[in-house]
Amino acid sequence: MSRVLMLIAIAFGNALRGIRRASTTSLLAVLTIAVVLVLVGSAALLVENMSGLLDEFGAELQVTAYLEPGLPAEAQRELAERVGSAPGVEAVLLVDEAAALARFERIAGGAELLAGLEENPLPASIEVRLRADARTAESLAVLTDSLEGLPGIAELAQGQEWIEGYARAVALARGIATGIGIVLGLAALLIVANTIRLAVYARRDELDILALVGASRTFVRVPFLLEGTIQGLLGGLVALLVVWGAYELLLPQVRFGLELVLGRAELHFFTTVESVRLVLAGAGLGLLGSMTALVGAGSET
Amino acid sequence: MRLYHVSKSYMAGQYALHDVSLEVRRGEFVFLTGPSGAGKTTLMELIFAAEQPSEGQILVLGRNVARIGAGAIPALRRRVGVVFQDFKLLQDRTVEENVRLALDVIGTPRREARARVFQMLKSVGLQHRRFHHPLSLSGGEQQRVALARALVNEPEILLADEPTGNLDPELTIEIMDLIVSASTRGTTVIVATHDHGLIDRYGKRVLRLENGRVVEDHPAASSSIGASA
Repeated sequence: MSRVLMLIAIAFGNALRGIRRASTTSLLAVLTIAVVLVLVGSAALLVENMSGLLDEFGAELQVTAYLEPGLPAEAQRELAERVGSAPGVEAVLLVDEAAALARFERIAGGAELLAGLEENPLPASIEVRLRADARTAESLAVLTDSLEGLPGIAELAQGQEWIEGYARAVALARGIATGIGIVLGLAALLIVANTIRLAVYARRDELDILALVGASRTFVRVPFLLEGTIQGLLGGLVALLVVWGAYELLLPQVRFGLELVLGRAELHFFTTVESVRLVLAGAGLGLLGSMTALVGAGSET
Repeated sequence: MRLYHVSKSYMAGQYALHDVSLEVRRGEFVFLTGPSGAGKTTLMELIFAAEQPSEGQILVLGRNVARIGAGAIPALRRRVGVVFQDFKLLQDRTVEENVRLALDVIGTPRREARARVFQMLKSVGLQHRRFHHPLSLSGGEQQRVALARALVNEPEILLADEPTGNLDPELTIEIMDLIVSASTRGTTVIVATHDHGLIDRYGKRVLRLENGRVVEDHPAASSSIGASA
């Protein structure tokens, strides 16, 4: 084994020895990092899924034209054709009264709700899907102006306001998650720094002896940096497991609620790359904490 | 090793060492003696760069310790073995691991390090105790471990600060014989001690310090002296 590999092996050995020796404080550091990353990871997962839904809605931004009651089927089809030729329209879908009822029953189990009614209360509608280049406020305004004057259209509904509100909510959630991440990250950093500082203090005799026998500054410092990094890595792994467990546990309820409200719910957990990032964030926190501790530890290190 | 007008002051006007000039030649054995507070330990600390002089120059193994940068100190210390009265052993490590520390810091491959530690422990008669922890050893044995650690790197200089201060007379002779044998292999040795019986027994050069000054430099009764260390 070359000298460099030997020094690396010794540094790892010393780091693991340090963790074993101060197992309680090390465990505290691991758990602190885990708690921080569980909170930050959960918030990130929430924001990620909210953004995903926003993108889906954005891609399917549409205008719904509700038709006047009693409009004959032939007139409905003609109206749909005219709407289809309006500026910015990619496609139209005519949903007659029967189709609207069937959709309501499928989503909300509405058969029981509507069982007492003699007539179908749901109006026919034309769902207008916009071209990608027309999904702007200005284009939408031009389209709604041209549709509002058409005979047979009772009301226009557009999802833009709702989507804008949702986008604001996503931005807020992202801001809050970032804020929480920064504050808790700093707290974790301080706790890891104190853990390492305690380790430096507890091992000052060893450090004195190492200095006596000619240990370089790097030889002395690297095990402490590794110690913090290992603690962070373990904290990151624990956090990933906890977030994954909570996701699996809560997924059925959340999915049911979203399907009820939105008609669908394409939720997903972190990708492999994102999961690795979460764990590495823990390692980074640990490493930064160790560096902070060593900067303040003085001449011993 | 040469000291030129070296002074060390921790407080203004109060000197732990004052205008000390001396030379110790390669392979020489020197007893450093004097009452408590005379400056023996300070002198040792200056030689292995644990302290910087307030005034003067110190040449050790071709380096000026008074101007040495922090990054160069480890390399110097690998060439200077140090032994203390209180052994300075790590209690949670075995005898072998304690001695191996001096080899670990330079990344000596494990197999080579073990072989060298075994040979070193054999030379101080402790090879059979290599897997024991220091607390299970007697004071004399612990000092032999400390000596083995100081010598395993084959240092050019050995500094021993009251190495027998905690030992009974029989163990004192045992440890001193080991130190003297290191000297006969070419290592420059400086031993700080209060023990006049020891000084008389070995008949080596004696530097006597009082109030931070060299007040006596008594040559060895018989010694082989080479180039400056």
